[in-house]
Amino acid sequence: MKQLVHKTPNKYVQSFKAYVLDTLSWAYMALIAYKVIYEKIIISERYPEFSWSQPLLSLYIGLAVAAVLFFTKLSLGRGLFGLIKYDENESPSSQPFAYIGYLLIALTFLTGFYVSEISMKEFLSDSGLEGAKRIFKALLHPNWGIFQEGLFAAIETIYMAFIATAIAIPIAFILGFFAARNLMNGTKLSFFLYNLLRAFLNISRSIEPLVWAIIFSVWVGIGPFSGMLALCIHSIASLTKQYSEQIESIDDGPIEAITATGAHPIQIVWFGVVPQIVLPYLSYTIYRWDINVRMATVIGLVGGGGIGNLLMQYQGQARWNEVGMLVILIAVIVWTMDWASSKLREALK
Amino acid sequence: MLEIKNLEKVYPNGHHALKNISFSVPQGEFLVVIGLSGSGKSTMLRCINRLHDPSGGEILFHGVDTSKLKGHALRKIRSEIGMIFQHFNLIPRKTVLENVLSGNLSRTGIFASIFGIHSAETRALAQKYIEIVGLKGKEKNRADNLSGGQQQRVSIARALMQNPKILLADEPVASLDPATSHSVMQYLKKVNEELGVTVICNLHFLSLVRQYAHRVVALKHGKLIYDGKPLEISEEWFKTIYGEDAVEVTIN
Repeated sequence: MKQLVHKTPNKYVQSFKAYVLDTLSWAYMALIAYKVIYEKIIISERYPEFSWSQPLLSLYIGLAVAAVLFFTKLSLGRGLFGLIKYDENESPSSQPFAYIGYLLIALTFLTGFYVSEISMKEFLSDSGLEGAKRIFKALLHPNWGIFQEGLFAAIETIYMAFIATAIAIPIAFILGFFAARNLMNGTKLSFFLYNLLRAFLNISRSIEPLVWAIIFSVWVGIGPFSGMLALCIHSIASLTKQYSEQIESIDDGPIEAITATGAHPIQIVWFGVVPQIVLPYLSYTIYRWDINVRMATVIGLVGGGGIGNLLMQYQGQARWNEVGMLVILIAVIVWTMDWASSKLREALK
Repeated sequence: MLEIKNLEKVYPNGHHALKNISFSVPQGEFLVVIGLSGSGKSTMLRCINRLHDPSGGEILFHGVDTSKLKGHALRKIRSEIGMIFQHFNLIPRKTVLENVLSGNLSRTGIFASIFGIHSAETRALAQKYIEIVGLKGKEKNRADNLSGGQQQRVSIARALMQNPKILLADEPVASLDPATSHSVMQYLKKVNEELGVTVICNLHFLSLVRQYAHRVVALKHGKLIYDGKPLEISEEWFKTIYGEDAVEVTIN
């Protein structure tokens, strides 16, 4: 029997966390007040200088302000950690500390506007609108002359995604068992292997396929092969994770029953685990292929071959009619894959 | 045939589930284990076929101490002990026949079992057990589409497929309605009387206990506190086993 242990949070630890949170919020507000509100809005400085003493000074200000306001109702940290008492009929969102939170959100919006250089003037300028008109016109008049070329590139993309998925399946299938906590927490060695594999998967998954494609295009040369490898690495990592999570969520009952018949461990996995995971596995795999086709298009942009590569070439030459043709092709592929994969997955339920 | 001596079980989290349990079961007996939830009944059954490893004591099965066996020898012993469960634990998405055949895994090669290759005799035997539990004609049905009572009968057939010397039943009727409960208990009785399989069964309802058990042992907080005939369980014993406030519930 597992017993839930309710840890009573230590008041002093909570207060310390609250103070850290308060300090960081006030330091953030101080920094924004100076860099955005003062420099950008009030004096419209074109080339503001940055030095590390600015955030450092903000931190000191944050520490001081947080210390002064810590025991008032304006301490956001104490409010969030439940250290401020207020009438239970009142909503926490109308408490004074909540207004500090709103202020933080408002300042973040303001900064976001300045960082993204949002400008209605640029958006609606005459020359800008002229350019937009030109490109939309070209896109709406695709050059059907390159239809065949685009189609072949698209086929390359689809097959590249298919092979990447197909190669990833058996590898992920086997790794999935080793990445499932419930199968691997038996001995110390197996649990070590589990953690090692998990760490490896997390690292390879956190590197975007786009980056893998750049690495492989240097390694094996520009072309579909490098794109395929990039997708393959990413698919192995993602599928292994999804497969192992599926294994972790299965019912232990059939495993127990098969074990009780005196079956060999391989038979236990085959009869106790596999029948419970086949359908979700298929569903994940089809979805992965669908994602891979879309990703293959993007990967082509950095030299991974296929229709993305072609798109990059025509875009570089500003041949917008050709780009328009390719955009239509990509849209049709993505839509078809999306539709087919959702229908297939629906049928598998 | 089965002798349990000073059995102890302490879980890794420190929970002391079984404390110095000793009793023996003669060939052909229908033994029922009673006690509150959490009293250690399930743990004890699982120690017998080593789904759980005992922390101390001995379990002698035909004179062999099973508590230290490993690998092939352990699987051999397990194959002689059938088990059925409260939630049936059938293989989902497989047919009744495939589920019953899975009882024979210990005597089937790994590759043969994966590719579903079974001898004609094995298939005939599976067919025979499906008929014994009254599911003739349902061989090709998916086991998880059957009713609860039918699923439990499939699991009895699967256990019989092992040709067991002993059958462990962990609350076999706890998730079934009263009528179905009796039907499943009748099949267990049939297995016990006609096939001569020793049965050890965890139960909750005393009315079922009185009707089916040859002998009863009761557990409380991991200790064996009663060992005797079912009809000898008096009001007083009942309150000792289930607590002062307990009231007997009957099912018919």
